[in-house]
Amino acid sequence: MLEKITIPLEALNLPTLIPMLIAVAGGLTILVVDLFKKDLDKSLYIVLSILFLTMDLGAVFDLELNQRGFFNVMLIDGIAVISQIVMIIASGLFILFAFSSQRFHEYRYPEFFALFLFMTAGFQFMVASDNLILIFVGLETASLSLYTMMVLHNKDKSFEAAIKYFTMGAMAAGFYAFSAMVFYGLTGSVELYKIFEVLHMRGFEPMILVLVASIAMLVSFGFKLAVVPFHTWGPDVYEGSSAALAGYISVVPKVAGFVVVIRIFEGLINLGIDWIEYILYGIVVLTMTLANIWALVQNDVKRMLAYSSISHAGFVMAAIMIGTTQANSGIFLYWILFAFTNLGAFAMLWVSHKRDAKYHERFDHPFEKFSGMVRLMPVGAVMMGLFMITLAGVPPFSIFWGKVYLISSAVNAGYIVLAIIMVLNSAIAAYYYLKLVVHMFLKEPITGRDGSVYMANASTSLKVVLGIAAFFTIASIFFVSPILDFTSFYMAMSGF
Amino acid sequence: MITLEDYIVLATLLFMIGLYGVIVRTNLLMLFFATEIMLNSVNIALVAISNYYEDLTGQMFAFFIIAIAASEVAIGLGLLILWYKRHGNIDLNTLKSMKG
Repeated sequence: MLEKITIPLEALNLPTLIPMLIAVAGGLTILVVDLFKKDLDKSLYIVLSILFLTMDLGAVFDLELNQRGFFNVMLIDGIAVISQIVMIIASGLFILFAFSSQRFHEYRYPEFFALFLFMTAGFQFMVASDNLILIFVGLETASLSLYTMMVLHNKDKSFEAAIKYFTMGAMAAGFYAFSAMVFYGLTGSVELYKIFEVLHMRGFEPMILVLVASIAMLVSFGFKLAVVPFHTWGPDVYEGSSAALAGYISVVPKVAGFVVVIRIFEGLINLGIDWIEYILYGIVVLTMTLANIWALVQNDVKRMLAYSSISHAGFVMAAIMIGTTQANSGIFLYWILFAFTNLGAFAMLWVSHKRDAKYHERFDHPFEKFSGMVRLMPVGAVMMGLFMITLAGVPPFSIFWGKVYLISSAVNAGYIVLAIIMVLNSAIAAYYYLKLVVHMFLKEPITGRDGSVYMANASTSLKVVLGIAAFFTIASIFFVSPILDFTSFYMAMSGF
Repeated sequence: MITLEDYIVLATLLFMIGLYGVIVRTNLLMLFFATEIMLNSVNIALVAISNYYEDLTGQMFAFFIIAIAASEVAIGLGLLILWYKRHGNIDLNTLKSMKG
């Protein structure tokens, strides 16, 4: 006879769960609305998604810092709160992409928006925990929703991309489970703080098993974050999915991945395991350099942006490896600035998306499509040019400040060689961003074309998103310092 | 007497078999089997370790992995059927319209 266990409701500390519950409730609401009334217009679902994301954001702001809940599984520390804020704001801006003037297959289904909210909840669970089980469940909830959303685009290429992403994701899940199993076997716990405690107490013996577990974890998140040499799916997935979803994939899932990597690997590095630092160093250098070199030879703007976001992820991984407080606050500064610029770049691709228009036998957005754009549509060309030189890191636009901050943190922590590699890579990157600028400003337009091509998919909401992105990019010089105070405050609160 | 080490060795071997399958298989269905082998090998080890520590966390984790593996297969088979309807095969080598 088992003893009856009673748990008081207060002990569960349910308020820690409210943000995720709002997102899940939003997804269910959308499904129920569809159940009662079919064929409603997509704008209702978009507005519902934005409404629930806003409530979600409010609930996140309302959280008290440094508390645990739900049998100590939930952990609300500074990094959990700030990453949720970044992810929800980015998600809210990317769902506005659905207000396109052309009709697309995926937006006809309310399931798309329900999956979107479930995915947000999954990412939130992933960042708001230091329990390996909950991180795994959140990761898989989000990834499985993402594969399905990609397939809803209903093109041959998107099926191919989704199958590739799915296969890599399943393999990453296997590695994650294996790594978690080894950590559990070594320490008898699946909670990160307890794992570090036991490992430290025992002086990391047996070293070989700690090595195996860490490498498996690194492989798993290497696939999720698309760092070299695990990046192979990345460009294909960007090419296969719509520009709207590709922009989303380049920003939000990576925030969640970075948070888990920060929690696990900074913990291990801080405990003084040197070889993890060496492995990360190698991965960072490879990711930044090789991704840049591959980006040079791309003929498609979307594929080029895919390699560029891999390279930007390499920059952030460098900050994770450095691991000082300055570098850690730089991570979120860099990623917020990058998110807004990338939002603008993908929004430009998205407004120029025209169904059934052929520019190239394979690509939707070849460089030639933008030839002479400045003659046909000066405002659009200037905007696209702005986002490109921002991504290249030209002062005084946003990403420049992120780069300066990360490089200075590398110098302050004594990684002089790494700082030089980062600077050189910024210089290489400028070449392929400027390639598009050259196409837009210096080449002759393809004859018989007018400016409407570049705004085929535009609507007022999309123009607003473009305006927000452009404003944020230009005026970032005034925002950098408040954002930095904000990120430093939250990072300091969680002890990173 | 079967000790903890035996279970761990078995699980690691199965994991390696699964990983080998993921790398060499070109039939998508077989590839999905291989990923299942990877996840389920971990379950064996988790339950064995859980029994060794007399701690239920590992068994709980195994249940979560079973549920996740099931939902992963559901999505994977959906993708596979879509691909089969369009192309009439499930060969990984036909997925090469994008590269570079």
